[in-house]
Amino acid sequence: MDTKDKNPDLSSGVMFPDTSVVPLEIAELAKPEHGVETVPTPPAIEDEGKKGLKKKSPTPLQDSLRRLRRDKRAMASIGVIVFFIVLALIGPVIYQHIGGLYHSDISNQTIGPSQYHNPYHQELDRQDEFLSGQYWLGTDDLGRDMMARLMQGILISLAVALLVEIVDVGLGVLVGVLAGYYGGWIDQVLARLTDIVFAFPGLLFVILLTGIFGAQADVVFSTIPIIGPNGNARLLLVSIALAFVAWPLMARFVRGQTLQLKEQQFVEAARTSGTSDTQIILRHIVPNLFSIVIVASTLNISNTIIGEAGISLLGLGVQPPGSSIGLMIVQGQGLIDTHPWEVLLPSIVLALIVLAFSFLGDGLNDAFNPRSKD
Amino acid sequence: MIQFLVKRFIGLIFVLIGVTFITFILGYFAPGDPIRDMLGEHFNLVVYNQLRHAYGLDLPWYQQYFNFLSHMFRFDFGFSYKYTNRAVMDILKDGVPVSAELGFWALILQMLVGVPVGIFSALKANTWIDTVNMGFILILYSIPVFVLAVVMQVVIIWFDQKTGASWPVSNWGTPWAYDPADLSYKVIPILVFAAGGMAYIARLSRASMLEVLKQDFVRTARAKGLLERVVIYKHALRNAMIPLLTVFGLLLALLVSGAFFIENIFNIPGIGYETVQSISDRDYPVIQATVVLFAVAVVIGNMLSDILYSLVDPRIKAQ
Repeated sequence: MDTKDKNPDLSSGVMFPDTSVVPLEIAELAKPEHGVETVPTPPAIEDEGKKGLKKKSPTPLQDSLRRLRRDKRAMASIGVIVFFIVLALIGPVIYQHIGGLYHSDISNQTIGPSQYHNPYHQELDRQDEFLSGQYWLGTDDLGRDMMARLMQGILISLAVALLVEIVDVGLGVLVGVLAGYYGGWIDQVLARLTDIVFAFPGLLFVILLTGIFGAQADVVFSTIPIIGPNGNARLLLVSIALAFVAWPLMARFVRGQTLQLKEQQFVEAARTSGTSDTQIILRHIVPNLFSIVIVASTLNISNTIIGEAGISLLGLGVQPPGSSIGLMIVQGQGLIDTHPWEVLLPSIVLALIVLAFSFLGDGLNDAFNPRSKD
Repeated sequence: MIQFLVKRFIGLIFVLIGVTFITFILGYFAPGDPIRDMLGEHFNLVVYNQLRHAYGLDLPWYQQYFNFLSHMFRFDFGFSYKYTNRAVMDILKDGVPVSAELGFWALILQMLVGVPVGIFSALKANTWIDTVNMGFILILYSIPVFVLAVVMQVVIIWFDQKTGASWPVSNWGTPWAYDPADLSYKVIPILVFAAGGMAYIARLSRASMLEVLKQDFVRTARAKGLLERVVIYKHALRNAMIPLLTVFGLLLALLVSGAFFIENIFNIPGIGYETVQSISDRDYPVIQATVVLFAVAVVIGNMLSDILYSLVDPRIKAQ
């Protein structure tokens, strides 16, 4: 806190996300330059900086965002991701209000779109239909609406990704910073843990865990109000397992970055002026981890989504009648020679989502660490 | 060198103990009582206790773990819960050759295709050929293996229906036999299985080649007036191959997780398939055995690539 007040130029001027990624010698060489550049223009603090400055130079974050905006592939990926998020969140609500009444021959009732556009509703005489006005993306082998099931599946994928990423970033940053900053036994434990996680294919652990505790998780977790008994309970276990195998890698990235950051002069300056370790970590180290964490977690999202779909595909994740993209693929696969559409649709959507996150991760990496390219 | 090997070996043992312990402890806390399930309605306390004793389930956990370890060193994973009196190893024995065959050909294919594609792309760096090539590779690398597998199945079935051919989309044929009939089963799964790793190798060898081409010794070689062919294939290529040694373990890990999907989607009777079967039967000893087998394969792969790397590049030992 006090360091920042005494010397705002120093602490904010070196907040280049990319400085720290280059090896230390280069970082040392580059620093005077940055210092010269940034001293006359204290960025970030707007109301102070406005007076007496001819032109504001962009902050490192603005710089990176500008680079990102120029990356067409990354921008297109953001578009795709936003589209799927919106589709999954508000799509079902709208979809259940579109469509006229339909007289079901099987139950001999007249039902509205809120029923036949429900992902769980089976219309048994309308099986395996192709696209139509009533069923926008057709129906599956039980006469359930594919569009509704798909939106439900996307929501599941994204929810799992979000949950896993929260744990991944939280644990990864916490342990990584502590291990990098203090070293000692935390560092040792982390090193051993990452060794095991690297050796033990993550999916294998997830399969083992869900295979053994899956049935029990169904019972235990379905008592939690939000989840409820709709076949999604096991996902909590899947998420825990996926997060457990993901965070050591994040921690290792963060640790490496912290090791470099703590040798930098602005940290030294802060320490000299009597800033406590907690303050140094919170104010000087953690903000500088932003770029590495955002890149690593975006790239990890596609792994998580693949993981969840894969686990559900093996029958270990979402249980019927719940819906998941992986479950849709495996259910469609049984009809692959008569109704290939039912397997192609979820496959294509999954590929799109995964590719979007990979491309975005790549784009973010290029934008935040321009020097890492080639 | 010896010191390095010993250090690596100790690390290996540590990781193996960690992996087996996780596997064991999860099985130990597994819900349900397999013996009770096994007896079913013939439940009888005397027989129950006898069976628990026979399976070693009445011992404290550390003794059970010790037994688990000591049996494992003799490739004895105990008896299956589902098929009473059948050793787990016996069940896995049918699957191992199939999975090994699948993995073997996939690895070969990854090296034979991935490396040249990557090198080619590096030589054409920043031309449209490179861009298209790497874009395609990135897509191949990112798409999950099971999506690739089902899309491939759809394509084959469509092809069959159009031309009246009968390419199979499931089963495997005889392991390690290559009649035309066997090949028709094997080619597609192996191709799909290899795709992800192939793309990974291509990306890696491109990056590595580009890095080497920037080095001083390449410039020197060019300055000496050597033919471009000699510079690239004799000087640069060899050095560009070194980092590829380190990914062997990673490739194995990729193959192991891919095996579950490929074997289940194409109905290939390998260990991945058997594992998923035994999960639905709650046959924990089989699950534990496959997990340990796969993990050991990956750990040893990692260790091998470390050793190879240190042989090729002596600087690595210092770390």
